[in-house]
Amino acid sequence: MNPAVSAGGRRGLWVSFWLLSIFLYAPIVILIVFSFNDRELVSFPWQGFTVRWYREFVSNPTLVDALKVSMVVALLAAVLTTLLAIPASIALVRRRFFAKPLVSGMLLAPLVIPLVVFGTALLILFNLISVVPFGPFTVAIGHVVISVPFAILTMVPRLERIPIALEEAARDLGASLWTTFRTITLPLLAPAVLSAFLISFTISFDEVVVVSFIAGDTTTFPLYLYSQLRLPRSLPQVIAVAVVVLVASVTVIAASEIGRRISDRKLEGDTAVFDDDEEVVVA
Amino acid sequence: MSEVGISIHGVRKSFGSVEAVRDISLDIHEGEFITLLGPSGCGKTTTMRMIAGFEEPDAGTILLRGESVLGIPPNKREVNMCFQHYALFPHMNVAKNIAYGLKLKKVPKDERDRRVKEMLTIVRLEGYEERKPGQLSGGQQQRIALARALVNRPAALLLDEPLGALDVKLRKQMQLELKRIQHELGTTFVYVTHDQEEALSMSDRIAVMNNGVIEQLGPPRTIYEQPESPFVADFVGVLNAIEFRIHQIDGPDAVMKVGEGERLVVPLAGTGASVGGSLLVAVRPERVWLRVGAEPADAHHASRLGGTIGQMVYLGTLTQFHVDTALGRRIIVHELSDGAMSGAHEGDAVTLSWPRDDAAILHDDQG
Repeated sequence: MNPAVSAGGRRGLWVSFWLLSIFLYAPIVILIVFSFNDRELVSFPWQGFTVRWYREFVSNPTLVDALKVSMVVALLAAVLTTLLAIPASIALVRRRFFAKPLVSGMLLAPLVIPLVVFGTALLILFNLISVVPFGPFTVAIGHVVISVPFAILTMVPRLERIPIALEEAARDLGASLWTTFRTITLPLLAPAVLSAFLISFTISFDEVVVVSFIAGDTTTFPLYLYSQLRLPRSLPQVIAVAVVVLVASVTVIAASEIGRRISDRKLEGDTAVFDDDEEVVVA
Repeated sequence: MSEVGISIHGVRKSFGSVEAVRDISLDIHEGEFITLLGPSGCGKTTTMRMIAGFEEPDAGTILLRGESVLGIPPNKREVNMCFQHYALFPHMNVAKNIAYGLKLKKVPKDERDRRVKEMLTIVRLEGYEERKPGQLSGGQQQRIALARALVNRPAALLLDEPLGALDVKLRKQMQLELKRIQHELGTTFVYVTHDQEEALSMSDRIAVMNNGVIEQLGPPRTIYEQPESPFVADFVGVLNAIEFRIHQIDGPDAVMKVGEGERLVVPLAGTGASVGGSLLVAVRPERVWLRVGAEPADAHHASRLGGTIGQMVYLGTLTQFHVDTALGRRIIVHELSDGAMSGAHEGDAVTLSWPRDDAAILHDDQG
């Protein structure tokens, strides 16, 4: 008998499930709780519910500026990442070319390169080509490199499920390569493109390691958060922002994931062959 | 002879070390229904894809209405294709699928609408404009795919095993439907299939392909009744191939004596075979007469052979008899299930016979 379904086994699974859940989510719960605690020090005892930390951060111009910078950087990074990842994914899925596994490996390598190493490398590189001043643009470039593998990994599975025959049919009916991409491939790939965009955006938005090397005078939101940790007085405020960002990120990612699944099911249903039982047409 | 629509000459195509097509030449006439028939890997699909422009031949020429199409991409060729799994665009409704090609050719909207409607009438799916492909059955998707290709009035329609994904009953229906549409529009159809029955029932001519070459080209009846190679005979129908030792030449015929009162006769038909040589002779199962007992069905049948029923397979209208004979191999015979053999059992002694002209030489093996 499978130990996982015996009475004792089930109890054991439940216990380990809850332990794991607490381990994963307790810090986040504590964060949310303290963001509403009416106390200057981030610690117990509970001194009553308040939203004053939220009100304070909205009226803190440095913090709001940092948020704005991060938004701009993340938007730029997400756009560039998506634009780069679409052709890369198509090449990986649709084309046969020399040393494809190597190219594929190189595209995905940033996943395993330590961010500290990568940040240092970018710092040296941007110093060498001193035409690019450190700022939002350099940060966005750095984030593109980090995000591209994620964007590719989001789009490749979807592309693999779009039958090549659809593209051939479009070509056969008179479509140029570009028209085929615009009217067939891209619309069918769209949900994955959106997912890739949102994932890239989130990655860039909360990235702190690479930023700290190449931001220059720019303060992004994670950098600001990090710098405020030394000042206990502003900590409750920082926590409140963190909660807002957390909720926003989770909502966006969840929405994109749900959207992707719905449209995946649609693609599956649309290419499925239906029962022919009801079919009677007299020739 | 009508005008040549597609002319293929000396075409070859290899994929790596695999020779998919080895020297194919074929003239397809305007308005003709021609079928490329063969097992998978015989080169039929590659040949079609070269006509469509998805593959370029390594050698040879392909002319469409007298002009070479080599180097011209698929979107610039005046042929359209029906794909095996229909390849309808899942994100567009039926009307947009059908109008796709017209829109690219900048046909004005009102004419586009009119032609889409006209095509839907031809494929008998009026009123389906707004449906998405996912809401259609396999047979309906098939017809929309057909409409989407034909609406462009191509010089030729290429069909790649279009009925492969349908069940048997629907397949028969669609065969008639395809033939009717082809007749109505007069479009050249180039049809690729591995189903010999489909090929026989629909085609004006069949090109039987094997190992990248055309083994035989001709009307269905000729292909079926006068196969020129053992492969064609075997592929196009169930066939009895008999190793025939020539014991005697009797006027225009070769004779093989099998046993007491048992002899096989085959017309030599100009083959230079002589006594002592051997031939490969074909007899179709439905041409063999079978009776219980020692008497043949017709005393005038030139060939007769005794045997015992080894196995009976009920096929509906027909019953297939596998008869053990002195030839050392089973002869397959088709008889009407409710005919003279309806009372027969396995193990019964029987007599096989067939008229002189129903045996044909497949292969002339001197020696």
